This record gives sequence, structure tokens and C-alpha cells, in this order.
Amino acid sequence: MEQQGLRMTETKPGPSLFKRNPPIAGEAEAIESAKAGDAEAFSKLYALHKRRVYTLCLRMLGNVSEAEDMTQEAFLHLFRKIGSFRGESAFSTWLHRLTVNLVLMHLRKKGLNLVSLEETINPSEDDAPKRDFGSRDPQLAGSVDRVALERAVASLPPGYRMVFILHDVEGFEHNEIATMLECSTGNSKSQLHKARLKLRELLRQPEQSIQQAGLKEAAQ
Amino acid sequence: MTSQNSNSKSHDISCADFQEQLPDLFASGSNGVPEDPDLVEHLKTCENCSALVRDLQYIADQASLLLQPTLEPSDNVWKRIQEGMDSDRIHADATRPK
Repeated sequence: MEQQGLRMTETKPGPSLFKRNPPIAGEAEAIESAKAGDAEAFSKLYALHKRRVYTLCLRMLGNVSEAEDMTQEAFLHLFRKIGSFRGESAFSTWLHRLTVNLVLMHLRKKGLNLVSLEETINPSEDDAPKRDFGSRDPQLAGSVDRVALERAVASLPPGYRMVFILHDVEGFEHNEIATMLECSTGNSKSQLHKARLKLRELLRQPEQSIQQAGLKEAAQ
Repeated sequence: MTSQNSNSKSHDISCADFQEQLPDLFASGSNGVPEDPDLVEHLKTCENCSALVRDLQYIADQASLLLQPTLEPSDNVWKRIQEGMDSDRIHADATRPK
């Protein structure tokens, strides 16, 4: 089913999605009641999912106002399309896929041509991760907290950030990301690898450098 | 320090060759751990590449820290959603056959 450019089909999720999106108590009943038009049940679904949907939008867009607009759009789409949810995948997976597609559509409208991802959202040479042949630095293990990682992810170039969020944070598979971003599976793998390399580079730098990288990204 | 040159002794796999395989090794679900004996040998003998694999795996693992959100949208978002839903209902009532 395709509505206004949005793919609403439920693809079979990988095991990681079940692990990351376990059923929430009371969610199934709220979904069924919301399908029948129960406003209170829909309000419960909003309460259960608003943080993750908003955080996903904020990470993808890097802007509070746009993230709030897209959160609103995502839940309005949910209100209109909840009847088509058949429970073949976790509800949150379905909702997040809907949200990602809306955000990508928004970005395409803004002029970011995701169709030719290879050329348009690959970062410049300056932003690309350095090859690592022979440098010895302290190991990262045990040294990275949530705040530092969040800051480093925010300072990634858009193409890297998008694939890292979709794969490593949200748990989508490369073939799903390739469909969403309209790129090849190989490109999704390569972008993810470069994103992790860039994060490694950023996380080994002093905090000030990450903040500067973030400011540079925000200015673009 | 293990360098690209010093590693060229082990089964002719350089750091560049090894690192070229990493996107597929991670995507295959093996977390950067290869099955190819030459790549295994390189990973065993090259401190630099083994540290790289450890760090990349650590970053992928730590990404789950970001799954639990700490931020939430302002109350205005829910108000606007409710307005949108009300408008949809009014439109649906108006277009419903009498």
C-alpha cells in the first residue's frame, strides 16, 4: 500500500527489531480501540510513543522545530492509517518506518536528493573518516557515555548520520535502509562503516573538537 | 606499533586489504570477525586492526544507549495533533452520505 509517497507495507522485521521493540503493556488493546475510533486510546498510543518518535525526528533533522512538525505529521498519519496496521511487525517498528519515510519525504522536498545518495549525501573529503593504518590510540571500550555518543552522532555528516541512526540505533536491516533511502545495499553498508569510523575518530578527540565538528555541521 | 609494512609478512594481507573487507564482515553479523584464514591471521597479528575492530564493535554496541529517548516534544505538538484529528472528523462527517 502506498499513500502520498509513503510506503505503508509491513515488511518482516529482523530479529533485532523484535529484541529492540518488545511489546508494551496495554499497547495491543490501545491499538484495537484506536482503530475503532477511541480518542482516549489514541492519546495513550501518543503517550507511549511520542518520545521515541520525536527523538528519531530530532536526530534525523537536527532541529527542534522541524522535529516537532514531523512528530505531529507522523501521529496524524498514524491516526489516518492505523486501520491498515495488521500486527505483522511490532507496532513501534511500523510507526518508526512510517516516521522515517515522512522525514525522508520532507528532506527530499527541501532539496536533499536522496535518490542519488552516493553523490549527494556523501561527505566532503574533509568530513570523511581517515584511513587507519598504524596509528595507536587509547581504546574506546568503557570510555564512551550516552552524552558523548549523542554529541558525536549529531556532528556526523547527514548521510553517515542517517544510516547510523537507522541501522545501529533503530535496528533496521541494510536492505530496508536501501529501500527507504533509495540506494544500494552496498552503499548502505559502506555508509554505516564510514559512520562508525568517523564516530571512532570523533570519540577519540577531546570534547571541544566534537563540539566544533557539531557547529560546522549545524552551519551547513 | 604494528604497521602496514610489518603486516605484509603475514599471508600477504595488508591493513588496507583487511579494512577493505570490514563493511561486509560487520554486515554479515560476524562483528568484524572473519572466517577467511588469511584475514583471521591478520587480525591475530595486527594490533592496529584488532583495536579497530574492537572499537567499531564497541560503537555499534553503544548505539543501543541511544534507543531509550530522554527528550519529549512540547505540549503544543499534541494540541496540534488533536486539532488535525478534529478537522479530519469534521471533514469525514461532512462527506458521509446522508
